[in-house]
Amino acid sequence: MSSFLLQRILQGIVIMAVMSVIVFAGVYAIGNPMEVLIPPEATQDVRLRTIARFGLDKSLVEQYFLFISNLFQGDLGQSYIYNEPVLRLIGNRLPATLELVLTAVLGATFIGVPLGIYAGYKPESATARIIMAVSILGFSVPTFWVGLILILTFAVSLGWLPSGGRGDTVEVFGIDWSIFTLDGWSHLILPATNLALFKLAIMIRLARAGTREVMLSDAVKFARAAGLSEATILSRHVLKLISIPIVTVFGLELASTLAFAVVTETIFSWPGVGKLIIDSIKNLDRPVMVAYLILTAGLFVTINLCVDIGYAVLDPRLRRGRAE
Amino acid sequence: MNRHAKAFAFAAVLSAAATAAGAQELTVGVRGGPESMDPHYSALGPQADAVKHIFDPLVWTGDDLQLEPGLAVSWKPVDDDTWEFKLREGVKFHDGSDFTAEDVKFSIERIPQVTGPTTTEIYVRRVADVEIVDDYTLNIHTNGPAATLPYDFVRLFIVSADAAKDYSTAETSAEGFNSGKAAIGTGPFKYVSWEPKGDLVLERFDDYWRGPAPWARVVRKEISDDASRLAALKAGDVDVINYVSSADYLALDNDPDIETFIGDSVYVMNLQLDQREDTPKVRAKDGSKLAENPLRDARVREAIDLAIDRETMVEIVLEGLGTPANQMMPEGFFGSSEDIPAPVYDPEKAKALLAEAGYPDGFEIDLYCTNDRLPGDGAICEALGQMFSQVGIATNVNAISKTVYFPTQARKEYSVFMNGWGTLTGEASYTLGSLAHSPDDEVKMGAFNRIEYHNEEVDRLLEEGAQELDADMRRALFEEAMEKTMADRAYISIVVLQSVWAGDKDKVVVTPRADEETLAYFIKPAK
Repeated sequence: MSSFLLQRILQGIVIMAVMSVIVFAGVYAIGNPMEVLIPPEATQDVRLRTIARFGLDKSLVEQYFLFISNLFQGDLGQSYIYNEPVLRLIGNRLPATLELVLTAVLGATFIGVPLGIYAGYKPESATARIIMAVSILGFSVPTFWVGLILILTFAVSLGWLPSGGRGDTVEVFGIDWSIFTLDGWSHLILPATNLALFKLAIMIRLARAGTREVMLSDAVKFARAAGLSEATILSRHVLKLISIPIVTVFGLELASTLAFAVVTETIFSWPGVGKLIIDSIKNLDRPVMVAYLILTAGLFVTINLCVDIGYAVLDPRLRRGRAE
Repeated sequence: MNRHAKAFAFAAVLSAAATAAGAQELTVGVRGGPESMDPHYSALGPQADAVKHIFDPLVWTGDDLQLEPGLAVSWKPVDDDTWEFKLREGVKFHDGSDFTAEDVKFSIERIPQVTGPTTTEIYVRRVADVEIVDDYTLNIHTNGPAATLPYDFVRLFIVSADAAKDYSTAETSAEGFNSGKAAIGTGPFKYVSWEPKGDLVLERFDDYWRGPAPWARVVRKEISDDASRLAALKAGDVDVINYVSSADYLALDNDPDIETFIGDSVYVMNLQLDQREDTPKVRAKDGSKLAENPLRDARVREAIDLAIDRETMVEIVLEGLGTPANQMMPEGFFGSSEDIPAPVYDPEKAKALLAEAGYPDGFEIDLYCTNDRLPGDGAICEALGQMFSQVGIATNVNAISKTVYFPTQARKEYSVFMNGWGTLTGEASYTLGSLAHSPDDEVKMGAFNRIEYHNEEVDRLLEEGAQELDADMRRALFEEAMEKTMADRAYISIVVLQSVWAGDKDKVVVTPRADEETLAYFIKPAK
């Protein structure tokens, strides 16, 4: 188990190093951000002075090594646009994204998996058919459209919920959270639903396919022969047997949603990191782009590591196999 | 649990307070927010729009961008390179201290230390030295004659020398201003809170020199998505929004609760034709290289101008939110000429001119434009492509993001390209000096002339204009330069854009400003 972990961590470090080169070179290739940022009336000497102040007169290789050496001192740079350390900028917005994404992904999983198991358990029933029809809607209708419809329905027409933004926050462990206030929840519900729909559909389909397969297996036949109730079979045996793909997808979805909840955040003006990254790309705010993409790579590596550990916990064969 | 209960109680109190203050509270949904509370960090439009609530510029501009007294009540050149500014007396900062010449000197000298990449040094680039004569008089010495100095100062925000003195290096400024410690201005509102991309919360300053604002509390919410901003207005979450898109504007006409306010913007869409002998994105229709750059032929340039149907462009493409343009500035701006003929649409004559110039079958061009910078830019680009194709110039339309467009344009990799240009200062030296003068570091002009347009007459007029301290003489010089530039048709102006605000009919009346700022002080409560 430990050698397996060590190997995974080493792999992660290599991936991060490669990512940093690709990201840096890619962002560099888009062009000099100063062409977008320096205003037209700037005279040539002002332009040159500004470019030099931000170190953009240096070569790509020099800039990269400067970035890496700063990185090892924990400094990811200063945003060109906001004049704030990139880490603080991202850190201030991360809780907002975190609570939105966790609500959406956990909600989708806890609702989607039972629905999917039911649909797999009684595939011919009317309820199962309705569940499957809804799940098709879930991943075939574009997110931005659903988001706008949600706003139009619940905020504009009915006036029940606010149209966007984040609600009141309270400080817990030094971080502002909105999930602990009523107002916070009233702001959270629509974007979280919007974000959850697609994942809900995936979870339903995964759970259904797994359940249908497992229900035909010898394990379930023996369990039934042993006289276990259907509820016990479903919750104790089927759920465990179908959980590996679900955990895998959960991890991937969690990571990708954390990094790229852009569409939902933009439509609902949610002050999360997704909007930050899109705007920094539009403005060629290079330090934010680079830092964000590298942090995202780190996020994927970490979550995948956790997923791997999750496998070992769920599947005793994996655990033993690695331990010996 | 206790914590939850507290939070709920707190939320309840807050919402009760919000209802009570509702009539005096104004919530504005804006497309873009500020970048910093330091008014000297960035020269970007949304930045100036936001910080103008807290800080006053030295020279004020009215709704049509013409100069008006602000913190400075009068100004005049005393010799070739000195301007005298008289300051308003009795103006108070938010902390109660008096506004004096010392604060102006401090603000000007602070800029090079703290500015970001969108540099505010452009506002003080001509200033050599600031001399304090007395508390309310300044002599500003310039590098050579600087006829347009007062125009440079319309976005020169004045901070309190006392409050900001410890926060005037690149490292400390963001911390000092964003925390509010140094964000002490003379403007109509006091700073309460802000974070990047979050809400800017402001409170009325009762001792404002123009008199107190009609709103006790102002919240500016940054909602970048057009549809979401409109939804927030319709849902009653905000009272006013800026930049209503042309499609939404039509739909809003039928909404009984919402009023729209339309104003001319400073932005003109200009087509630019590369004047180099060898240009990369023009070729014969079979893909072979042409013997020479056809864009250097005056007949070809006229044909391109005649091929553009500006009426259709305004009525169909922009849904009526624009006016046909015949020059690079809207009318009424300092230096725009009334003698330039109205644009004509004549595709037959365009074809004839092309044939006369030796291109009876036309040629092929790649047209590049931005598609995410100004309302309708991408659509105008596509319409241009069709109009050019109709007269025989096969056009490949590339409407792309400004992020890619501007760096490539700066490398001069385009031949025919279009983007908007806003005359933010309201006068011609800003626009013609950057675009129409040939690139010249010596006189510091032509920085955005990416087509190597060169007309000695125009260069001379602009250089004279920049030094001419008499306003009427200067106006005449700029008007002539504008006429000559437009006659050459290397720059072809297409439309002046308009900008739309929308607000709650029962609550607000908005007066559009040409620089598209949404200033809460000037938003009046509806009667």
